[in-house]
Amino acid sequence: MEKERKIKVLIAKPGLDGHDRGAKVLSFGLRDQGMEVIYTGRRQSAEQIVNSALQEDVDVVGLSILSGAHLTFFPKVVNLLRENDAGDMLVIGGGIIPDEHIPILKEKGVTEIFGPGTLIKDIGDFIRKNVRKIA
Amino acid sequence: MDNKDKLSEIKEKRKEWEEKVLMPSAKRFGIEKSPTEFYTPLDIADFDFERDVGFPGQYPFTPSAYPISLVPRIEKGAKPGGLKRAGTYSGYGTPEDTRDYYKQMAKIMYTGGPNLALDLPTQCGYDSDNETVEGEVGKVGVAIDTLRDFEVIYEAFTGEQDLDRIATNITISAAANILVAMYIALAEKRGINMAKLRCTPQNDILKEFVSRGTYIFPPRPSMRMFRDSVVFFTENLPGVNITSIGGYHIREGGATREQELAFSMAIGIAYLQEGVNAGVDIDAFAPKFTFNGFGGSMQLFKEVAFQRAARRMWAKILKERFGAKKQDSMRIRCPLSAHIGCSSTTKQRALNNLSRSVVGAIAGVLSGGSPMAFPPYDEPLGLGWSLEARQLAEDATRIVMYETGMCDVIDPLAGSYYVESLTNEIEDAAWKGLEKIEGIGGAVTAIENGYMQRECARSAAERQARIERREELIVGVNCFTEEYELDVTTSKIIEHPYSEEKRYDAEKKQKANLAEVKRTRNNREVTRLLKELESAAKKEDENLMPLFINLAREYATLQEQCDVLRGVFGEWQLDTFV
Repeated sequence: MEKERKIKVLIAKPGLDGHDRGAKVLSFGLRDQGMEVIYTGRRQSAEQIVNSALQEDVDVVGLSILSGAHLTFFPKVVNLLRENDAGDMLVIGGGIIPDEHIPILKEKGVTEIFGPGTLIKDIGDFIRKNVRKIA
Repeated sequence: MDNKDKLSEIKEKRKEWEEKVLMPSAKRFGIEKSPTEFYTPLDIADFDFERDVGFPGQYPFTPSAYPISLVPRIEKGAKPGGLKRAGTYSGYGTPEDTRDYYKQMAKIMYTGGPNLALDLPTQCGYDSDNETVEGEVGKVGVAIDTLRDFEVIYEAFTGEQDLDRIATNITISAAANILVAMYIALAEKRGINMAKLRCTPQNDILKEFVSRGTYIFPPRPSMRMFRDSVVFFTENLPGVNITSIGGYHIREGGATREQELAFSMAIGIAYLQEGVNAGVDIDAFAPKFTFNGFGGSMQLFKEVAFQRAARRMWAKILKERFGAKKQDSMRIRCPLSAHIGCSSTTKQRALNNLSRSVVGAIAGVLSGGSPMAFPPYDEPLGLGWSLEARQLAEDATRIVMYETGMCDVIDPLAGSYYVESLTNEIEDAAWKGLEKIEGIGGAVTAIENGYMQRECARSAAERQARIERREELIVGVNCFTEEYELDVTTSKIIEHPYSEEKRYDAEKKQKANLAEVKRTRNNREVTRLLKELESAAKKEDENLMPLFINLAREYATLQEQCDVLRGVFGEWQLDTFV
């Protein structure tokens, strides 16, 4: 019997922001929940992130920014994915995102924003519920 | 009865107490083991006051770095008030925005020099007109491209507040020397000799690789830049501190208390060694090392013990390893004592962070420093603290300072069986961690091969797992979160000192500012000096500081200089380590 494919997640740090604790902790945590996680490291451009996502054919792209550049980077990644026929990848974000920016980001195609204090268990549940159907 | 007999008597009595009092009580509660501990002289059996504690402001500095606690006294008839000096970490948008912010703050009693927060392109050595940094200009701090930008910011600091009368902090590590050179060039234009400048650049590059992340060059050439700081600053800038070492960032990045202490001491040793290798006398430059802070947590007694252990450990390193003679060389100079650490704050029911920060302020006093209710409660809510949050934090600090009487005694927990034993425990663990790093080859190697980075990530993941299992409780986050709890907020009626609009317009404006500089400067001279920088950078022994000053005078940009160095030194890219 063919084994079910693991959910594949790319955790990425767009831009120059160096706060990578959340990204790393999430990488460990989702891995513990049985997902396959690739962490890009810091200082990734939107193009680099999308390239990695396409190359690895991931199901989820998780973006982490604590520097205030989310309004630029998050929509840029979503748009580039769509341009590359990967609009079905689930894009989620986290970091220091002011509440008033959350609806803006959701409207631009980021499915959910997870702020400080979120339990990884809840992020995992959200991914399992919302990820594209795996063939 | 001598001490030994006394101890064995206590040992016997403790055993008796456990059997006859403690266990029956536990049994009544239906538990096997008591959840609470009790410490006795047995836990510090070989305690020696002079060796382990000593007097405040004197080796081994366990009680405090200074003989007197620095609580500002309020004289009769004086009207103290206002928020802190401009020295709160601040700055945003264009240099004009930051200048105007400081002018506005001066009206509400902010005095003294600025503690400049720089945007990420500046910290990472990119100019505002670089396409790859779009969206980041002026975000987490002010954008600096050339000397022109310093000229604009410091329009807010003239006369009584001129450069020879204020102290500036510049929070930058990778390109610290280039920014200090701009500061020197600015002073020169105002007719102020660099020997009169007071300034602290962060200049703590090694921790950037472990956490925080604003590195540019690989660790080894970065250390060569650090050597340049030690040599040039010691010779020419008596009022400029060489570095402001941050264990804080390492803890916030995920390290445990013990890892933080081991790593930051290893990093400090690497910096000291650079100076020694360059032939500078340890007592000539070690007093110009500062620490911007160690990490914190909600665990009050452990943080108190941590601060005591850190002071004692650094003092021993300086005295025993580096042969320092001056007390000033052995003292940790650090504005922040024990506190809760920003990562202890929660976005959930954020006003609770005020209560948390008070615990930190109390820990600060008990740890032999001055109290600071840090950070303001809105730390996890966005970029930049609101004035309400700063007022509340300031008042919380004042309440601890002036209403509690806690500041009347330095290190009131000295001699406590528990705290002395904890202090020993933390210091011992840190020495073991330090030995391990030295076994690897020292801090630089332990960063190049990712050891410190991996350790931090692992500890952060372990802590998160404990939070998820509810072994560690955080009110409003993983417990007490039922729907009948109220989400108490403050009303934001006072305007934030940073204009959101300006922050988002900054990129466009700063690009125009930079274009104007590039149009009007002597480009031929800039090109010539950049070539000079390149050949100097290739010679390991050359000190690049004089060249940075020449380049600053000619309005060479930060990135132009960093690009030349990138070409010679390379760039650091190994970063994942998970």
